[in-house]
Amino acid sequence: MKLDRDRPDDEIPTSSMADIAFLLIVFFMITTTFTATRGLDFALPEDDDDPPVVEKEESVLIEILPTGELIVDQDPMQLHEIIPYLKPKLERNPKKPVIIRPDTATPYKYMVQVYDELRQGEDHGLAEPINISVPTQREIQSFWY
Amino acid sequence: MKLKATIEHKPNIPTASMADIAFLLIIFFMLTITFEVDKTQVVLPKTTLRYEIPKQSAYVSIDPNGRIRVSDGNEQSALVSAADEVLSMAAGVIAMDPQKVFVVKSDGEVSWDKVDEVIDALKRAKVRDVYLLSDQRTVTDG
Repeated sequence: MKLDRDRPDDEIPTSSMADIAFLLIVFFMITTTFTATRGLDFALPEDDDDPPVVEKEESVLIEILPTGELIVDQDPMQLHEIIPYLKPKLERNPKKPVIIRPDTATPYKYMVQVYDELRQGEDHGLAEPINISVPTQREIQSFWY
Repeated sequence: MKLKATIEHKPNIPTASMADIAFLLIIFFMLTITFEVDKTQVVLPKTTLRYEIPKQSAYVSIDPNGRIRVSDGNEQSALVSAADEVLSMAAGVIAMDPQKVFVVKSDGEVSWDKVDEVIDALKRAKVRDVYLLSDQRTVTDG
């Protein structure tokens, strides 16, 4: 006698797999944020208790006023004029320190602007990277006065 | 004359590889996704030079009101009341990993003394590598 068994299909239902996959894609696409993960490197010198003494006269001092105006070695100067001013000095002494000293009330963006400009010294024809120094207020009070 | 019966083809789109493509995209997004540890809304300063910041760097952010938040790169950033807390946090992170990179994410309008306090705290904590987070400066920015 032949039995007529009603055998169920032994298949895994995959019809909804694409739906699940696209749902996950949408989730990742929405949660992925392309953030600004780039910036200027700002290598900090070691916190030395006995730092090398740099005479103010030997260095170039760039002061940044709260309005964004620049005073380079006591003279007002535009941002694009700094590198041409530094060029002859740095050709004589490439290690000459260039000190950036913003006023405490100066917006941070002006300091970054000057630092960015000085970091591009080599693109403006300088042989070596500029020896930039940004002393903190604590260092200025400790070592300058 | 007997005419041949026309064979009708059912129109169908081949969807067999759709799941493969979908899973490929999922894997791509899973590998590239980075969860932000700091969501402070700031207007970053603009710079011409910008370098890629290593992943899982520690963050110190300063919002336009001068509030400081810190993150070790793994946990979400937390508000701190003073720059001295940045020092203790940074010292703890550096004790665990002396090569840890720190990112200063500050609003461009924040006064220098605030940023100065943070940088000074990082210096005292013996942090060596700091990045100043910035946006790309373009020709139109002047």
